[in-house]
Amino acid sequence: MTTYLAEDRYPLRLAPAMTDVWELWQRAKTLDWDPQTDIPWEQLQPECYAEEQILAARLYWSRRTWGEYGAISESPALLLRFCLENRHPDLRFFFTMRTQEEGRHAEASWLMADRLGGYFPQPQNPPTAGAVGTHGVRRMAFDPETSLEGIFASLVCAAEEILIDVFKATVHRATNPAVRRLMELILRDEVRHIAFGWQCLDAWAPSFTPETIRNIEQAVTTMIENVEFRGYRNLWLAIEGGDATPLEIDADRVSCEAGLGGSTPEDEMRVFPQFLAKIRARMAPWGVTLPLFDHPRLGKI
Amino acid sequence: MAEIHAKLLRGYQAQEKGFVERRFPLRFEPENPTIRELYSQSKGLRWNPEEDIPWSRLAPAAYASEVREAARLTWSRRAWGTYPGMGESTALLIRFCLESGATGMDAKLFLSFRPAEEAKHLETCYLFATRLGGYEPDPGHETVARLSNHPFAQMALDPDLPLEAFVAALGCLDDQLDLNLCVSHLQQSRDEVARHALRLIAGDKQRHVIFAWTLLGARLPHLAAERRPAVATAVRDMLERVILAGYRNTWLLPPGARDRLLAAEAITAQHGLGASPVEQEKRVLRATVAQVRERLAALDVALPIVTHPELGRL
Repeated sequence: MTTYLAEDRYPLRLAPAMTDVWELWQRAKTLDWDPQTDIPWEQLQPECYAEEQILAARLYWSRRTWGEYGAISESPALLLRFCLENRHPDLRFFFTMRTQEEGRHAEASWLMADRLGGYFPQPQNPPTAGAVGTHGVRRMAFDPETSLEGIFASLVCAAEEILIDVFKATVHRATNPAVRRLMELILRDEVRHIAFGWQCLDAWAPSFTPETIRNIEQAVTTMIENVEFRGYRNLWLAIEGGDATPLEIDADRVSCEAGLGGSTPEDEMRVFPQFLAKIRARMAPWGVTLPLFDHPRLGKI
Repeated sequence: MAEIHAKLLRGYQAQEKGFVERRFPLRFEPENPTIRELYSQSKGLRWNPEEDIPWSRLAPAAYASEVREAARLTWSRRAWGTYPGMGESTALLIRFCLESGATGMDAKLFLSFRPAEEAKHLETCYLFATRLGGYEPDPGHETVARLSNHPFAQMALDPDLPLEAFVAALGCLDDQLDLNLCVSHLQQSRDEVARHALRLIAGDKQRHVIFAWTLLGARLPHLAAERRPAVATAVRDMLERVILAGYRNTWLLPPGARDRLLAAEAITAQHGLGASPVEQEKRVLRATVAQVRERLAALDVALPIVTHPELGRL
């Protein structure tokens, strides 16, 4: 054990220090659910859909699974950082539940793809794996040059926020009861994850230095340009979408129109600019200025 | 950022670079039914320290002030020993993802739940201490602080250490001892709330221990011969340098460092508030080491006999 470096662990404070975050931890414990038993799977009835609709939905839910897996393999690194930096106990407690919930989302998304006819364990063309494989949060969490504030802003207030904005905008179109229930349950968890990020950043904002602000601007910009615009969440948004097959790119739309979850390009055209305007306005009081982003289909947003 | 924090992060950063993660094909179907079942049980047997422990039946006023003082210290010490589990199990989850890439989903799903279970145990200890007069955030003695603070999360992410060695040392030995002590405290307790809390915690710990043994049994046969000796070495190190130094048992801490805590645990045990007498803990420790040695032998891992000035050959 001597070759490793010990943390400065004590005093080990456990009393709530951020009331709102503590409340999220308390709420998370009471809102557990189980993908195996809390989804009305018997109402999924894949046999009622056309073959191409089922294929699209399987592709959509498979890609969601890969995305959720990132929250098991990457973002838990943040908890290690909270521990070694002796951050408030509220953060550590809440984040353990977040990891649990993301595991649940991954399992639920896999089950959905599986029960629709089969989960795809990888993208159809291997190079697409680069775009959908990682959002790079683990690397950031272990990098002392990347501030925790920057990671929170990019992961929680950008990547998770747009995911949920699209979910909120499309959940009513999920006419399949099993899909709809699953989307509602994921949404319920994710709302807490996002609240956590904003609450932390709001609380820390008075102590932001110009360097912190630059760090946030850089991290959010990277998340938009190198993750969202590479198609991590939705391949239609990929600026260089050459690696994804037309079937994969169109899967979200076909699945959404069948009522099986997903979003259409029109949804993205509408929701993405609104999302950017929202986080720009939300971060402005901290002194954060996000640049305009150029996207071939969304325009200058 | 404090230099010590930056140094620790750079350590993790270097460890992470020692792995090449291959994420696809990302398989989700069960490979190990026992571990998938444990994950399933974790989902079904969830509990909430705030709501599922009958705190209203804890009557601190029924105990003399020195008993309350002793018990709050005992449960504070338990919190210090519980806290590392959050980081260790998270680090193990990350290690699994880095190492096994596309496979091992049963273990990953199980481990995605475990940090929250550790957090609930920690919250329980905190709530118990608080209700008895207040949680103590600092051991108040440098030796106790040092001996209850080991960098196991770094150990989990060390590419030079086989994952099997970490699981054997932390899961099969330390978690097993922790479970056995928890069961002993439960058997010794008379206070209804202490019993309730310990029973809930023991239920989770039981799964953690089964997980470790199942995983070790499944992986060891595939471990390269030249990496195998690291397993026995890690378990022996854990026993000699960590456990016999007082990580789990206060009476094993050096004289002078242990006195206040030891006196507190004796009073806590005597009043049935969630501790065991020293003699009972000694029996549990001996039995656990024997049990772990036997089980490791079944997996062709020989745990050597260790000696301790007070306990003799173990």
